[in-house]
Amino acid sequence: MKTKRIAGLALFIALGCPAFAHRLDEYLQATMISLEDKQAQFSMRLIPGVAVSSEVLAEIDSNRDEVISDGEGRAYAERVLGELSLSLDGHRLNPRIVSATFPSIEAMKEGTGEILIEFTAELPGGGANRKLIFENHHETGISVYLVNCLAPQDARIRVLAQKRNRNQSFYELDYVESAATVEAASPLLAGIENLRGAANMFRLGMHHIAEGTDHLLFLLVLLVPSPLLVFGSRWGGPAGLRHSFIRILKVVTAFTLGHSLTLALAALGFVSVPSRPIEVLIAVSIFVSAVHVLRPLFPGREPAIAAFFGLIHGLAFAATLSQLGLDGWARLANIFAFNLGIETMQLVVVAAVLPSLLLLSSTRVYSGFRIGGAVFAGVASAGWIVERVLNVAGPVDVMVDALAHRAVWVAAGLLVFSAVCWWVSGTGQTEPALEQSA
Amino acid sequence: MRSFRIEIAAGLAGIVLVGVALSTAQEQTVTPRIVSAANSFLATLDQKQRQSVLYAFDDQEQRRRWSNFPVVMVPRGGISLKDMSPTQRAAAMALLASTLSPRGFEKVQQIMDGDEVNKTTDQGPRGNGGPPGRRGPGGPPPFGPGGGRGGNGPIFGKDLYYFSILGTPSEKKPWMLQFGGHHLALNITIAGEHGVLTPTLTGAQPALYTLDGKTVRPLGQESDKALALLNALDEKQRKKAILSYELADLVLGPGQDGKTIQPEGLKATEMNERQRAMMLDVISEWAGIINGSAANARMNEIKAGLDNTWFAWSGPTTATPGKNITAYYRIQGPNLVIEYAPQTLGGDPALHVHTMYRDPTNDYGRKYTHE
Repeated sequence: MKTKRIAGLALFIALGCPAFAHRLDEYLQATMISLEDKQAQFSMRLIPGVAVSSEVLAEIDSNRDEVISDGEGRAYAERVLGELSLSLDGHRLNPRIVSATFPSIEAMKEGTGEILIEFTAELPGGGANRKLIFENHHETGISVYLVNCLAPQDARIRVLAQKRNRNQSFYELDYVESAATVEAASPLLAGIENLRGAANMFRLGMHHIAEGTDHLLFLLVLLVPSPLLVFGSRWGGPAGLRHSFIRILKVVTAFTLGHSLTLALAALGFVSVPSRPIEVLIAVSIFVSAVHVLRPLFPGREPAIAAFFGLIHGLAFAATLSQLGLDGWARLANIFAFNLGIETMQLVVVAAVLPSLLLLSSTRVYSGFRIGGAVFAGVASAGWIVERVLNVAGPVDVMVDALAHRAVWVAAGLLVFSAVCWWVSGTGQTEPALEQSA
Repeated sequence: MRSFRIEIAAGLAGIVLVGVALSTAQEQTVTPRIVSAANSFLATLDQKQRQSVLYAFDDQEQRRRWSNFPVVMVPRGGISLKDMSPTQRAAAMALLASTLSPRGFEKVQQIMDGDEVNKTTDQGPRGNGGPPGRRGPGGPPPFGPGGGRGGNGPIFGKDLYYFSILGTPSEKKPWMLQFGGHHLALNITIAGEHGVLTPTLTGAQPALYTLDGKTVRPLGQESDKALALLNALDEKQRKKAILSYELADLVLGPGQDGKTIQPEGLKATEMNERQRAMMLDVISEWAGIINGSAANARMNEIKAGLDNTWFAWSGPTTATPGKNITAYYRIQGPNLVIEYAPQTLGGDPALHVHTMYRDPTNDYGRKYTHE
């Protein structure tokens, strides 16, 4: 590498001209376009690399007095503008200089100086589909170009496409301007915007619980013993269809009430809890439920436990919500929508496994299923507790996520399995509902 | 049987208590630990040094006084490791380490070591290393031989990195630690329990070097993980991700705070779970520079906006094994901009790269400092 460099150096001294094409040998011209309703703002940063700075400087400092006067600066900015071609829907635009600032001559000579030219162009009205073209012919021989558009602040402007030639000296911006006559302040439009926001929050809520495998695992584990009776300190036979169904409904409702309450309180800023302990407590809640599935810890009081731990899960939901930085009155609607999304997804999941649980619970296989599930949940939650306390990423997430990503198949497989077991066991009918002895 | 239940309940209560205590303890130790490291560092300085290190928290000029350039071309504020005694240097590095993750700290040191390699190998005015020093016709040489500037000292080296503190180190009130020099600008805002790393610039030249017999690529993961993601895309996805034009430089480099450009490329909603996870893994190379708890919070924020996150690529779609990519890429989300921009200066773009890590909604932690 070294020899190559020395060789390059020798070549340079011998010829006295550029031996390599280097970044700092170039004139960087970076343009940022800000699109508004009736005008476009352009901000051009011009940075001559050290190798070309004397060339560029000679053009700016026309009287060579080592000072860039206002007049010289102005003249150079006009020249740059003159070498751009700017059009909207094929009509030429006439940009107007807003400001032109120049760095010190010293900085320019070092290649760190940045010239900033800001200009604006009026945009004549037209159809909905618009095409803005920006071409830069300034110093094409020594320049590299960057052109970008800021994400429009005006919600009525939507960018469809940006097209450029290879070196970005040509830039085309295709965008639509939706019915510009609708006032932004119109209550109807604001209402639609809010509805759209709420729909997003609803989807986010669904997404969150679907992704939040720990929340789902807790709920599922709590449901496993619901169709069973308790004999002393052990789980017994099936409690019957109607009974099981009512119990599952109670558990789900209690969990919902619990987390809705804390979600609302936390999201409105009444309570605030650091997220790490909450994450640990959630893992603990799964562990407790898993032990309960093995041996009844709190038979018949599942709804109360579900409500209690629901309080904790709600705080975790609130943490997600708080990251979105919502405020103002839209908050309440958003919390509601978010929560509704969570409930919906939760119901989908419960509906997906409920038939399996009910079928399976009337067979002998259920105790094996129950123990297997409890061990899985117990191990996963213990892993989570360790990972979350130590704040490390571990294999548990990978394992549970792998399962969760195949949730549809797992649920379908479970249903088939349950149906087969139920059919083979030949009971065909569930035993009559018994009153539970507490 | 009843006693069995009581035992289990007692055991669980114990686990809960220990868990809560441990996690609370951990949660609360990050910021206090950083604050105490900052105070220890300040205590090692004399009055004059302390004055040079300390700035007002809202000093906008100092906040923006960072760059990819060597420090002689763009002077930084604060004081450099070079101007510190060994004790002061140790305290300064301990402070830096307390704010970063072990991997982040290692990355930073590798960037600095790279600059040291630059210093020792850069003999010519236009070496592998740095800014060109071509003598214009009749112009004075910007940098003399030996990488020096007019013979006044080196322009590279791992001691030419500057510390500055904006505001007063505090567990409650926001303050900022800046650390940077050539190819490095860390802007770390501590606001209560929050830690914010944006905006941060990393870079490397040489992006591949050997030190003590070990081959080092300071930004090798940034390169390899992104290439793996590109390779994991199918034809249709690649067509969207790969831009048709060249990008010679960072679009949102130094001085471009708070800007959100129109995103381009492939949107994460069009990726499968594996590809999304791979993209998060690329992002973690920057988001994970800061300490664990701040990095976790940041990754959660990024995950929440993942659907609206885009991946764009420009340039060669292959790399020489063991070397960095020569392509530009960008990952942009609602609160994220990552740019990886190879530089042709030095001849081989695989050996010189600038990267930018931003949250346009949270420059210098403004989301938490309520500025």
